Amino acid sequence: MSSVYVNRPTASPQAAAAWDTRRQLLTNVRGIGGRAYPRVSGILRERSWLFFEILLPFMTTSGFVFVYRALQAPPAYIGFVVLGGAMTAFWLNVMWMMAAQLYWEKDQGNLELYFTAPVSMMSILLGMAVGGMAMSFARAIVVLAIGAIVYGVQFQIEQWALLLAVFALTLAALYGLGMVLASLFLLWGREAWHLTQLTVEPIYFVSGLNFPVGRLGALGALAIGTIPLAVGLDAMRQLAFVNAPGLGGTPSPGIEAGILVVMTVIFIGVARWMLTRLEMLARREGKLTMRWG
Amino acid sequence: MTTPTAARPATPETLPRAFVGPGLDPARARGNGFADTRRAFLTATRLGWLLEANWTDPVLFFIYSIAKPLASVLILVFMVNVISGGGSTGLRAFVVVGSSLWSFVFSGVAGLGWAILDDRERYRMLRYVFVSPSDFVVVILGRGVARVAVGLAGAIISLAVGIAFLGVDFDPGRIDWPVLAVAMVLGLWAVIAIGVLIAAVCIQTRQESWQYPEAVAGALFLVSGAVFPLSVLPPFAQAVGLISPLSWWMEGVRRALLPHAPSAIGGTTSLFHDLTGAVEPSAATVLLALSATGVLVTLAATLAFRRSERRAKDLGLIDRTTGS
Repeated sequence: MSSVYVNRPTASPQAAAAWDTRRQLLTNVRGIGGRAYPRVSGILRERSWLFFEILLPFMTTSGFVFVYRALQAPPAYIGFVVLGGAMTAFWLNVMWMMAAQLYWEKDQGNLELYFTAPVSMMSILLGMAVGGMAMSFARAIVVLAIGAIVYGVQFQIEQWALLLAVFALTLAALYGLGMVLASLFLLWGREAWHLTQLTVEPIYFVSGLNFPVGRLGALGALAIGTIPLAVGLDAMRQLAFVNAPGLGGTPSPGIEAGILVVMTVIFIGVARWMLTRLEMLARREGKLTMRWG
Repeated sequence: MTTPTAARPATPETLPRAFVGPGLDPARARGNGFADTRRAFLTATRLGWLLEANWTDPVLFFIYSIAKPLASVLILVFMVNVISGGGSTGLRAFVVVGSSLWSFVFSGVAGLGWAILDDRERYRMLRYVFVSPSDFVVVILGRGVARVAVGLAGAIISLAVGIAFLGVDFDPGRIDWPVLAVAMVLGLWAVIAIGVLIAAVCIQTRQESWQYPEAVAGALFLVSGAVFPLSVLPPFAQAVGLISPLSWWMEGVRRALLPHAPSAIGGTTSLFHDLTGAVEPSAATVLLALSATGVLVTLAATLAFRRSERRAKDLGLIDRTTGS
């Protein structure tokens, strides 16, 4: 099969710009790989993240475990905290390394390069997600493994396939939301940093990160309908801790998986529309991508 | 071969006469000591406040300032309520005071590290700040004041919400004001010292270290008795807690505000009890331990910051921008 990257003389600039589907696809795949690469190589070059982003956050999770121990809570609650601690890795990755990223890329002078590159902005954002996931997966696995070993968390799983599907759908919806927020934060400029701050503890609370979200009543129901972390975490808790006490008042995992599918479709659709608009604004007005000051 | 002589610093007194003309103000070369330090600190504080607060209108800024600490308090109060069914008012008060104060710890610890990252990675001004005549650490401390102030406001408001709406049993007439005042001053000092320590780390790391201060604060959360007694921890973790000034600060403030609240450090199964024989520390012991551990952390922070500063100069890290 011949490479699509070989220079071939064309009759006109229009003909040169008319790429076939295969070439577009391969270029976007390379774009994903190219944007993921600095994230993966970055974590190999800067080893301090192993300590600061895996070990220390596990200690935060442990703090909540000991709150339940001090309260002499049923053992399942410690499992809820550990699972919540694992999922925070993905939420923080989405908010810090994706939602706020386009704004930072603008600050660093990369954004205009992205808009002029012959790849979709969604591929660039997907590359960020893939690269960031390497770190997030490592953190989540360590939290779950140490939680199981040190705190004796026992998972009771009967539907592995549904659990894995819910996990994958949660990630898809989360990163779709990250793409939407990346566009919004770029438009909002400096407020992005502060808004990112606002999306940590308040979202942890309404998502029931350390307790069953069903206990929040109407607020919990609203969170299940709008926040991927809330619905995904609740479904995973129901599937990983079958018959655990306290997990009531929320839809079944199957229905929550359906909610995640709807969220994924909506978020990715909205992200696509917003990124296309941003690209148009960037090309037409030229201000959006310029670093200020 | 000539013998090398010790280099003398070039002060107005040592300069050749030709250089000391009417154009040179010796005071400018020497600096004005404390007056310059104060001016640098106040300027950095004002800059920090503008960066922190002028991105939005006052209403949104107020919401932003209290949302994080309030949500942290609510998470813990819900955890207590889910298990105790809302009946444990003593434990709820313990948790509300601890988690309110913790938001202040987070702001203090993060403020200085973020000032370094902001200036180096976002505004790219760190190199100019570094070569300016101001003392670098003074500028960084000034930059962090705004976040400390916002954190303190958030802590006070969270505490007020806890008292007003979350059923914290609190009697203003029984506050031990002297203990509260001394504990707050020493605690603030210790929090800033830890912040300087984190800033020393952030000088060395790449852009993605925005989460490092939060991670450190989270780790200290485990061993500081903020929301549960240290006695539930294994002995080695309790030992770490006993050398953390934050544990003693929490204990001092909690004791001053809620005289009948359970001790986070003491208890019949605690390491403190094993070491001292006392069930819980007295107020004097708390303040003494807070002073001693605060001095230790301050020394460690000073050494770490100076060493980090030297290393950053050697390796050219001051004007490095990264990103992935």
